[in-house]
Amino acid sequence: MSATHEKGMQAFRSVMDAPIASFFASCVHCGLCAEACLFYTETGDPKYTPIYKLEPLKKFWRREYTLVGKLMGLVGIGATVRDKELAEWSELVYDSCTMCGRCSMVCPVGNDLTYMIRKMREGMAVAGHAPDGLRGATQRAIELGSPMGVKLETLQAQIRHQEKDTGLKVPLDAEGADYMVLLSSMETVNFPEYIGALARIFDKAGVSWTIASEAFEATNSGIQIGVSDLAKVLVQRIVDAAERLKVKYVISPECGHAYTALRWEGPNLIGKPYTFEVVHILELLEQLKRAGRLRTSGKDERKITFHDPCQIVRRGGVLQQPRELLGSVAADFREMPDGGVMNWCCGGGGGVSANDRAEELRLKAFNRKKRQVEATGAGTLVTACANCRIVLEEGLEHNEMNIEVVGLTELIAEYLTDDQPAAAGGEA
Amino acid sequence: MSSGKTLGEVLRDQGVSRRGFLKFCTAMASMMALPPGSVAAVAAALEKARRPSVIWLSFQECTGCTESLTRSHTPTLEGLILGQVSLDYHHTLQAASGTAAEHARMQAMKENHGKYLVVVDGSLPLGNPGYSTIAGISNVEMLKETVEGAAAVIAVGSCAAFGGIPMAQPNPTGAVSVSQIVKDRPVVNVPGCPPIPVVITGVLAHFLTFGGLPELDELGRPLAFYGDTIHDRCYRRPFYDQGLFAESFDDEGARKGWCLFKVGCKGPVTHNACATTKWNDGTSFPIESGHGCLGCSEPNFWDAGSFYKPLSAPTGTINQVAAGAALGGVAAGAAVAWHNRKIRGEARAKHEPVTLDDLEKSS
Repeated sequence: MSATHEKGMQAFRSVMDAPIASFFASCVHCGLCAEACLFYTETGDPKYTPIYKLEPLKKFWRREYTLVGKLMGLVGIGATVRDKELAEWSELVYDSCTMCGRCSMVCPVGNDLTYMIRKMREGMAVAGHAPDGLRGATQRAIELGSPMGVKLETLQAQIRHQEKDTGLKVPLDAEGADYMVLLSSMETVNFPEYIGALARIFDKAGVSWTIASEAFEATNSGIQIGVSDLAKVLVQRIVDAAERLKVKYVISPECGHAYTALRWEGPNLIGKPYTFEVVHILELLEQLKRAGRLRTSGKDERKITFHDPCQIVRRGGVLQQPRELLGSVAADFREMPDGGVMNWCCGGGGGVSANDRAEELRLKAFNRKKRQVEATGAGTLVTACANCRIVLEEGLEHNEMNIEVVGLTELIAEYLTDDQPAAAGGEA
Repeated sequence: MSSGKTLGEVLRDQGVSRRGFLKFCTAMASMMALPPGSVAAVAAALEKARRPSVIWLSFQECTGCTESLTRSHTPTLEGLILGQVSLDYHHTLQAASGTAAEHARMQAMKENHGKYLVVVDGSLPLGNPGYSTIAGISNVEMLKETVEGAAAVIAVGSCAAFGGIPMAQPNPTGAVSVSQIVKDRPVVNVPGCPPIPVVITGVLAHFLTFGGLPELDELGRPLAFYGDTIHDRCYRRPFYDQGLFAESFDDEGARKGWCLFKVGCKGPVTHNACATTKWNDGTSFPIESGHGCLGCSEPNFWDAGSFYKPLSAPTGTINQVAAGAALGGVAAGAAVAWHNRKIRGEARAKHEPVTLDDLEKSS
């Protein structure tokens, strides 16, 4: 078995559903999506216009799914999609699209371009045009359990460090817990203090939780590379573990695409409803805060701004929660221009950060974020996605900007208080 | 009378700055859909243009078109520049009356023979000539006499362009449009009831700049202004596309500003610039105020059924051929859809689970 052009075409054929057909049919060629894409705005190169990235799929649709295309095909005229073309488009589909969804928001006829890119990757991957970096990550995710090759031993070592730092127990495979926590490997390796922060918050709030030794990784490389069959394997792992541990909730970590994959695509991939509910960590923290179980005292005096991860705010609708949470701990919060649902992507989502081929372009696209951050005058950049966080850190480093990046959950954990509600008069 | 001064000189006398003048030229160039590079050419031409003599004839009309023109919000440049064409005869606006007025018309025709513009508002009665006369001259006679030495004729308003309300059934005066009488001179139709003032000035600016008339559609309307339908450019269009319609003028949809198609908006078949240039100095246009488009810049708009009936509702009874064709279309559509589903279904049935090995090409 290996990748072939025919497999790619077969995949194009099977993803061509009614939404895609109607999107292509209703495109009015207005070009508004160009201005919404940071790869276009930062390079000025028209090939990065989002709808153009879909050209081979569109051509395929015209050829095989429209009356005119079919008739032209019968008499042997009109273009078919060739392998060379797919090779050329690999950069456009994988390197210059983070599936951030900004273009879908501005399309005047309501075309969900992100949805189409996601589907187009299905064909690109099996035609052998996925970038090496992403292919390697997918392989590690399937074979080792994590796209960065993080194994259970690595996680256990990090857990021990965090237990020592916090003096709290991090439960592993605790059957019957309410919440099962997932981690992105980025957190396990680069930001293990997230685990410590959760332990402290859940201890104070009285939340029963656990990590599953068989499914601790949240990142779904199958979604990023565009292979539903592999994405399904990764979702199934989590579902099996959650069912075995009989948890009521699974918590998606501070990671964007993991949330999209598990919450919105997951049940469709495995073909049945979950026996548990998926919540993003920010949703849970806000719920706890509203219920009076998450109490903080004191405020951070630093100039703080917030980077909305695309998959969480735009594709996931978690807009108000981070602002509620920040409101309780930040004394000087500054909203970014275009912050919220129209926030600009960090440039590394959708598998782009795992794709070394895209690095130069990604750093160029980062100029948008650079300007956005600079406009706030903030010295501290808070976010809620480990992938955004590493991409932001790299970008800031590359531009020699003296700005620190902090995860929101960790920031909250810094201001936890022991005060009981009755005594906590000053804290709202 | 047309003076010897050029337009540029007159504007400077009026205290219009070079910057203001160029701004106007840019606006005009974009209104006429000219490339940005042409702004300089527009400016140069307008700067040198001699004030053309304009004779304005009003026939069977309501003076709404003149009212529209005078609402061009002086001192905007549209207003000023129109003040600077030499409007030698306009019986609503001119001070002279009676013999003196007719004398002015005769003199303008003589002095500018072959170069002056005739602007007409109102339709012409072919029935009894006595239905509408000026200084004892019937409308048809005056039009024929005046266009004799004209460079071009601009039919302003739906009455002059297409016959308008006077021609609506049962057309008691036998009204006809300007282009039905004038056959040997170029006629530009600027329909609308009334037309947008800037469209009138746009056509004049084009004439001054290029010494000719703008590109016209098959109904003689300048394409730059009448090339798109109201629907094409309507800010409520996204609601139409999503199927969100106001069902009456006081329901929730109307309050939320949804599409007015179902309460009779004629936007989809009406070619005009209302949705882009808007009215009253760009303030608003009927759809923005919550009322559907009446289609006033299209021929026979008055006789095209109720203003409040959706376009999709047939005005007469649908005949068998049409019904058959519709059924045929539905069947063909269903066949294509079925075939498409089959292609997709077969592809999905053939699908074998993708493994890691499928991601790399064996070379």
